[in-house]
Amino acid sequence: MTQAATNTSDTSTSDLMVEMRNVNKWYGDFHVLRDIYLEVKRGERIVVCGPSGSGKSTLIRCINHLEEHQKGEIVVGGVPLTQDVKRIEQIRRSVGMVFQHFNLFPHLSVLENCCIAPMWVQKKPRKEAEALAMEYLERVRIAEQATKYPGQLSGGQQQRVAIARSLCMHPDVMLFDEPTSALDPEMIKEVLDVMVELAEEGMTMICVTHEMGFAKTVADRVIFMDQGQIIEENAPEPFFNNPQSERTQLFLSQILGH
Amino acid sequence: MIHNKETIPQRPAPKGTIGPIAWLRGNLFNGPINTVFTLLGLYVLYLLVVPTVQWAFIDANWVGDSREDCTRAGACWVFVNARFSQFMYGLYPSEEYWRANIVFAMFAGIIAWMVVPRLPFKRWMALFALLIFPVIAYVLLHGGYFDLPRVSTHRWGGLMLTLLLATVGMVGALPIGIVLALGRRSNMPIVKTFCVIFIEFWRGVPLITILFMASVMLPLFLPSELSVDRLVRALIGLTLFQSAYMAEVIRGGLQAIPKGQDEAAAALGMTYWKRMGLIVMPQALKMMIPGIVNTFISLFKDTTLVMIIGLFDLLGIVQAALSDSRWLGFSIEGYVFAAFVFWIFCFSMSRYSQYLERKLNTGHKH
Repeated sequence: MTQAATNTSDTSTSDLMVEMRNVNKWYGDFHVLRDIYLEVKRGERIVVCGPSGSGKSTLIRCINHLEEHQKGEIVVGGVPLTQDVKRIEQIRRSVGMVFQHFNLFPHLSVLENCCIAPMWVQKKPRKEAEALAMEYLERVRIAEQATKYPGQLSGGQQQRVAIARSLCMHPDVMLFDEPTSALDPEMIKEVLDVMVELAEEGMTMICVTHEMGFAKTVADRVIFMDQGQIIEENAPEPFFNNPQSERTQLFLSQILGH
Repeated sequence: MIHNKETIPQRPAPKGTIGPIAWLRGNLFNGPINTVFTLLGLYVLYLLVVPTVQWAFIDANWVGDSREDCTRAGACWVFVNARFSQFMYGLYPSEEYWRANIVFAMFAGIIAWMVVPRLPFKRWMALFALLIFPVIAYVLLHGGYFDLPRVSTHRWGGLMLTLLLATVGMVGALPIGIVLALGRRSNMPIVKTFCVIFIEFWRGVPLITILFMASVMLPLFLPSELSVDRLVRALIGLTLFQSAYMAEVIRGGLQAIPKGQDEAAAALGMTYWKRMGLIVMPQALKMMIPGIVNTFISLFKDTTLVMIIGLFDLLGIVQAALSDSRWLGFSIEGYVFAAFVFWIFCFSMSRYSQYLERKLNTGHKH
């Protein structure tokens, strides 16, 4: 991290990538996030799960300020998230995000999708941006489709391009917002494989997902949310084998019980 | 149980289900009701087309220089012929027509250059068209520089004036409309309120009223030494009026772009203007082509309203020529001619927009 705002004297927080303290958010009267405390260390892999409407997507969307929290403190890579647009953009440059519906830019080719941010945000020359994009497209095993448009690809291919697009910005942390929920069953694996590889390379990841197999293989911690609160937080092994709270037990029995 | 061990090869469709004969049978003569409609339609077409062709072409008079050359059996295009230069240039002095012709030719050249896909340097051409061409056109048409005699704007007219009003209106209304549409969707209350008031004011007032206000009321409020040319006032009124409509068309297009597009661009760290300029606007503009061209076409035809403030556009000059005592009774020919010229331009715009839609769509679908 080279940001000037990093507080270097405070060694206890220096390896924390994301810090959320007492974060609260409301949609009108509806209290979506309630007293969220979450600390994610560099290199840590977090899986967030919970029933729909529990606020898990909102939680990770607050980290790059796609949603605005009303109370509490969020610090990303040592930079406190404020209303300041420059600050927000600085944080977003270091935080990659993968969406449920891919959100590739349909008017740009796969290669252009990956180049556009390095070229226009990081001011890289086109040649360099293209080389970088090809490198990441190769890593997600889709380089041969570089000249195609997103509309010509399958869902799984699109999601892998979306991951490559985020990686091209060299993010310090990746947020995954239900990356496999919109995919046909036979395409889930190809996306999860890429995510597992990414985790093995040491990327800091926060994944909202219902893929419990993925959680068991790669997660350092699993977080269970319900009604805007973090109910339970544990390493995957005890989380799945010995859930403490009743709500977690109910949730796990519902998604694993068939 | 295995049904097909091998892939069944493609076979041609049965005879009589494809081809022109099959199309006719399938679409025009399938069943008694459709057959009756087809025959009825052909009969109506016959009733309309034959007399029209008879009047406009076969019985028409084409050459001559006075009304004595008209047999009155059909249309007398002699009238249009005799007044043609007036219809094109208005009251522009005839010895200076060459100046208008140069501007016409450059204008046509620029349009052709921008429309033909194969020609290179589109970006430079656009810059030339927006920055240098207006200066050249002004110097040539208005004169007063380089020993060119001055031709004041009240002598400008005809198709030249129509094209001038329409072009300035279109080129001005699009960017102003984009800014207004973005402003209306802005989170900043002051900007938003200003844009809403601006759009609703200009949309709520008839164009005629605006033109009247521009020509009659504006001079009353402005100090007398600050007299703005009547044509310029009409241009400003027309442009602002159309930009309000344009803003609403563009806002509709912006709303059709999924929110995820803006979010994905934001998540990559793009600023507001980059998100709009690189991601949202290019997609929205593509979708808005029909709406934008629709607005352009209505603008093109609305230019005829400047007649009421004493500017003689194509229709205005035709109207004026009809009251000439030497050519009384040729109003049908005059109006048909005006309608035909307007139709040519509007239809071309419509066709070009369809072509553009098709061209831009193939880029990412199939």
